[in-house]
Amino acid sequence: MTRAIQITRSIQMTRIIAITGGKGGTGKSTVATSLAFELSKEKRVLLVDADVDCPNDHLLLSIKREHLKTVRQRIPKFNPDRCTKCGACGKVCKTNAIMSIKGKNPIFMPDQCNGCGACKIICPSGAIEWDSKEIGRIYSGKKDNLDFLSGELKTNQPISEFIVNSLNEEIEKRKDGYDYIIIDTAAGTHCPVIAALENADYAFAVTEPTPLGAHDLEIILQLLARMNKKGGIILNRSDIGDKKIIESMAKKHSAGIIFEIPFSKEIIIQYSKGEPVNIPRISSIIK
Amino acid sequence: MKSIIVLSGKGGVGKSSIAASLAIAFSEDKRIVCADCDVDASNLSILFSLPTERYEEWTPLSTNQIASIDRDKCIRCGKCIATCYFKALRSEDNIPKLNEFGCEGCGACELICPAKAITLKDIDNAYIGYSRTGYGFKIASAQLLPGNSGSGKVVSEVRKKAKEIEPDAELMIIDAAAGIGCPVIASVTGNDYALLVTEPTPSGYEDMLRALDIVDHFRIKKGIIINKYDLNKDYSAKIELFAQEKKIPIIHKIPFDRAFVDAMTNMVPIIDHDKDFRKMFMDMKKKIEAEVIDSEK
Repeated sequence: MTRAIQITRSIQMTRIIAITGGKGGTGKSTVATSLAFELSKEKRVLLVDADVDCPNDHLLLSIKREHLKTVRQRIPKFNPDRCTKCGACGKVCKTNAIMSIKGKNPIFMPDQCNGCGACKIICPSGAIEWDSKEIGRIYSGKKDNLDFLSGELKTNQPISEFIVNSLNEEIEKRKDGYDYIIIDTAAGTHCPVIAALENADYAFAVTEPTPLGAHDLEIILQLLARMNKKGGIILNRSDIGDKKIIESMAKKHSAGIIFEIPFSKEIIIQYSKGEPVNIPRISSIIK
Repeated sequence: MKSIIVLSGKGGVGKSSIAASLAIAFSEDKRIVCADCDVDASNLSILFSLPTERYEEWTPLSTNQIASIDRDKCIRCGKCIATCYFKALRSEDNIPKLNEFGCEGCGACELICPAKAITLKDIDNAYIGYSRTGYGFKIASAQLLPGNSGSGKVVSEVRKKAKEIEPDAELMIIDAAAGIGCPVIASVTGNDYALLVTEPTPSGYEDMLRALDIVDHFRIKKGIIINKYDLNKDYSAKIELFAQEKKIPIIHKIPFDRAFVDAMTNMVPIIDHDKDFRKMFMDMKKKIEAEVIDSEK
């Protein structure tokens, strides 16, 4: 009896699919927006733009974003009356946000602070309290039936993954209302990409048939393996370049090329105009 | 030593390809060195037909620490779990367990632990090295190990390494990662010139503005290259108008050409592809030189 219920639940569960790829400009956002828009014609779909350094999905779909919430990060506030100028806070700060010389008040550079709180713990005189700074925003939007969330890092703020974490919280709150959640990640493999992949059930790595594409694909496949994520490869611009180098990379990491998108000037034109890009049969990658 | 950073915000607009060909152009009459600061996906040297497996030096690098918990000393007070701002610690059988992906190595848990059960340990989070390219100049690069953090610090190490291997270079050419987060900020700071590569699409334009914010934050002189400019001439005009208003020179408008992709597939820098490309990059070099070097004389 219990088992039967579990099986039913697993079928009804929302599927969270990440679109990633390592290398920039391989077509992650094109695939993510096209897939989400296509699926949304028949299913309940949420598209999440988690490339918070450079979010562009709203531009690709011509979505006007509404401000949903502001993401703030805590930062220390120094009380000069209590400060004994001991210099301990500067010593424990690993991000060089506090410059402190014994005998002088600490100089604080809020842009560099990641809010870890080591300074507050070490301060012997209770001279540090919490303040906060805005580090980014979360937006929402809609394109026909497609619901949309987008995170954006404020420039010169270093910790992108806090914005992604905030998006993850929003996903958690809403996920029961959707059949599919498509997460578009940033390029690369560092913190914000890892945070965006954390909740995904499955990840597609979008790549291109060039040595650079193959090199960066290998890194993202290694990351997916380390995170125990199931994944497949989408080969974009499959007919220009050398497909063999991607095929051998896929084989090396026991990954499959799930879908191929031939080079198309039509796609580039739709993309540059901000129209939903039509990739024929793209929704077939979700079975 | 002067330094030029090539960046774009958006990935895949041709940043590395352009940086590689410009490096070759500059190296013809200058002592230069390259630093590949895209440590998430370090591939600049591939454009010089030099995979990192053939580097003269390629060694582990540690710029990060992570918390290490002594289970015997732990008194299960849970303070470390409550303290970790990155939520990298969670309770497992009342003992803190570390999620390595989340740990920033800040040391707050070590400081709060009343039982001294936590110490920070160095971890190898990247590989770093250098080699001489077939064009005579050297390149330094690093690759962050998948799933590790600390890319900003790795970037600083690459820049340091580039200086070490070629202390007498007149010019350093730096290739940045996509995005505008910590590795890019670490790449941009302290350069003499920033070359913003963009393409005529809404995302290319918006991302260039974001990258420009960083460049302006550090008050760095800059110029713009519009790649594939003829794919959307209206948008190219928009970028040019913006540049004119902000008094930012357009260094070059590169037409869309499949030869670009072909050259890359064959691992030939575009400058070596044919005479026209060569002339184009020599022109760019002259313009940039006038901006970076001659303007000081």
